[in-house]
Amino acid sequence: MPAVEHERGWTPDLLSARAARADARAERDLSAAIKDFLLPDEARLDDRTRHALGELVRGTIGAVEVAVRRHAARLLAERGAADRAEALLTARVDVAGRLIHAGLLRDPDMMGELLARVRQDLLASGLPLATGGGDEPSLVVRLAAAPDAVVARAAAALLVADNRRRDAAERAAANGGELPAELHHRLVWWVAAAIREPTDHDIDRAIAEAALRAVAAHDEGERADAVAMRLAAAIAPNARELPDLLVEALGDRRVGLFTALLAQASGLPHEAARAITLEPAGDRLWLSLRAVALDRATIARIALALSEAEPARDIEAFADQLDAIVAIDPLAARAALLPMTLHADYRAAIRALVRSDAR
Amino acid sequence: MNAFDSSGSAAVAHAILDADGALLSADPALEALHARAGGIVGGVMAVPQLATIARLARRLGIVVSRRVTVADDEADIDLWVRAQPEGERVRLAASGWTEMPAWRPSRGGATLPGDGWRWETDGSLRLTFVSLDGATGFDPFALLGRPLTALFGFDEGEDGAMPILDALARRRPFRDQPATLRPTGGAVRLDALVRPDPQGAFGGLTGTARPIDPDVQGDTMPATFTAGLDRALRAPLARIVANADSIHARADGPIDDDYADYAADIASAGRHLLGLVDDLVDLRAIEKPDFHPAAEPIDLADVARRAAGLLAVRADRAGVGIVRPGFDARVPAIGDFGRTLQILVNLVGNAVRYSPAGTSVEVVAASTEGRATVTVADRGKGIAPDDQARVFEKFERVDPTEPGGNGLGLFIARRLARAMGGDLTVASTPGEGARFTLTLPAG
Repeated sequence: MPAVEHERGWTPDLLSARAARADARAERDLSAAIKDFLLPDEARLDDRTRHALGELVRGTIGAVEVAVRRHAARLLAERGAADRAEALLTARVDVAGRLIHAGLLRDPDMMGELLARVRQDLLASGLPLATGGGDEPSLVVRLAAAPDAVVARAAAALLVADNRRRDAAERAAANGGELPAELHHRLVWWVAAAIREPTDHDIDRAIAEAALRAVAAHDEGERADAVAMRLAAAIAPNARELPDLLVEALGDRRVGLFTALLAQASGLPHEAARAITLEPAGDRLWLSLRAVALDRATIARIALALSEAEPARDIEAFADQLDAIVAIDPLAARAALLPMTLHADYRAAIRALVRSDAR
Repeated sequence: MNAFDSSGSAAVAHAILDADGALLSADPALEALHARAGGIVGGVMAVPQLATIARLARRLGIVVSRRVTVADDEADIDLWVRAQPEGERVRLAASGWTEMPAWRPSRGGATLPGDGWRWETDGSLRLTFVSLDGATGFDPFALLGRPLTALFGFDEGEDGAMPILDALARRRPFRDQPATLRPTGGAVRLDALVRPDPQGAFGGLTGTARPIDPDVQGDTMPATFTAGLDRALRAPLARIVANADSIHARADGPIDDDYADYAADIASAGRHLLGLVDDLVDLRAIEKPDFHPAAEPIDLADVARRAAGLLAVRADRAGVGIVRPGFDARVPAIGDFGRTLQILVNLVGNAVRYSPAGTSVEVVAASTEGRATVTVADRGKGIAPDDQARVFEKFERVDPTEPGGNGLGLFIARRLARAMGGDLTVASTPGEGARFTLTLPAG
């Protein structure tokens, strides 16, 4: 009973321990408050992003948890342990809370991916709609009816993938299917470890088997970003078609397709193209747009659309630099971006070395 | 003087600005707006939002379109503005011209109902999104990219109207369009908002579909719904009101006046919702076939005095007097004490709300021809003859922009009066106030 809980710990022999705990907590709170206060404004998550990230983290973890619990319970039931199956199904553990507490969510790959998704979705929802005028269908709808069967199939798949992703985001019912394979595997094992029953070997075994199944069933090719890359590759726009396609992708609120087209044209990995699209400062985005030799009006249209979606992007400052940006030689732009085209692991290793040298 | 009609005109006004933002020429509507913002003939564009868009278009060298709200005398005007650079000059085109009245609570209209599942189309009315919680019995993915009519068959409403036709013709939101889900044959009601592009052009619809349970008749609500509503809403609303009140009172330290006022707005909206929950629960109770209020001897004059007493403080704050039946007056009647008090509190409360300061609300009880009556009369603006029947309808309010009230009070009051064998009627001459008369069987 809660009343008994509350009485516990107030006996004379425990008072100093209690005071010491409170002291440690106060110190921890203060250091967190200081850290929070000293965060530079541009690094601080705004409330919308913070909220959406929280929903996505919990939704993604929840989806994986449900999948693992369900399958493990089925295995247990098949093996005649119906009671334990029922217990596993109905057990309530705050998995997200445990993972956060254990520091596992400090994983930069995992959080980087989830944060990028949240930012991409928020950016997309704010983009000004572009209409072709008259009864013209929107870009991806039009592509889904293209005479080229490969393009049409890829575009139809993107309609489905974007629908699934938006539905998950709007109803906070993430399906866990949007993570790259490696991160998904990592998350499945974390969740499995968080819900296991250390004292029960049968449950442990069932959870492990269910986790293996969840890992095997994950198809990263179904992710909206992967589907967008397939569509960009299928279209393979030439230099004449690319500018309008990029602008139209933004006007159709398909940020994933925009980054895919940019990645395809510039040779940047998709993650890199996405990262530079989501950066509010935009410096590397302007470089990459020049690397694919876009003209002044197209670069201005892209910058304008992005700044209308995110007021943090300073369109006046961009206008000041527009002439200088347009003057960049595409070859020089490509050279400046070259490090971004290196393998992601290689770049991570280089960054780690630079960090340790700096210490 | 306004350069546009009240419904928001489709007229486009043009202006040409030079490289420094000075107005070279302008149509009368834009010139007037410029002048009212303090601009002079040939001077720099004085409406800041328009100046910003023009400047941006010239610097970027591309068309810039935006929806802006500009202040114009008492009102705000919503405009769709398009700035097109032409060499060093910029051509401005402003359309829309919708006048927005000063902020009012619950203007309504521009939101979608919270229940139901979402769908969205592009400008060609082809489906671009279907939320998966609505897709039972069919594959929503197969419908993406197909026309909206592949998902919904549109039906006529009771009055033969099709809200979607009007909505599409006039590019406005629509409500309560009856439709059939083509893949399953299920009945739904559709609501939708228009998705505009930055030039105000039609960019598609975003809407919801609410399934209609064929077993539920008309607009009555299942008991479980109101019971759930009561449980689910009362506690959280009470918390919202309490917290908003303590923010308004600056309980946790000083905050900006604006925020304190927002908190007061939140608290008052919360109280309004709490009242609505009470009324809905009440509505459910009195709409049940087995609802029978008590039939006991009561003194209608006494009930009227109590109702007036309960509202004395509110009336005092509004600077309105209440003339109540004298303490020696007795009007025996047969009815339910609690329900009769509820009716009279509602009538006197309304009368106080619509009374100008300095006037009085008269509450008179009398026995006539075997009936007991109470009349509540105010000196407010009255109710037009056409509206007099409407005020007793569910969710009807003569002036929806008036603060307070949810359109259920008089509906409930009349239902109660009739359930007790009496009636509730209104007589009013516009401009001279309204008289509501409650009649009960004499005791």
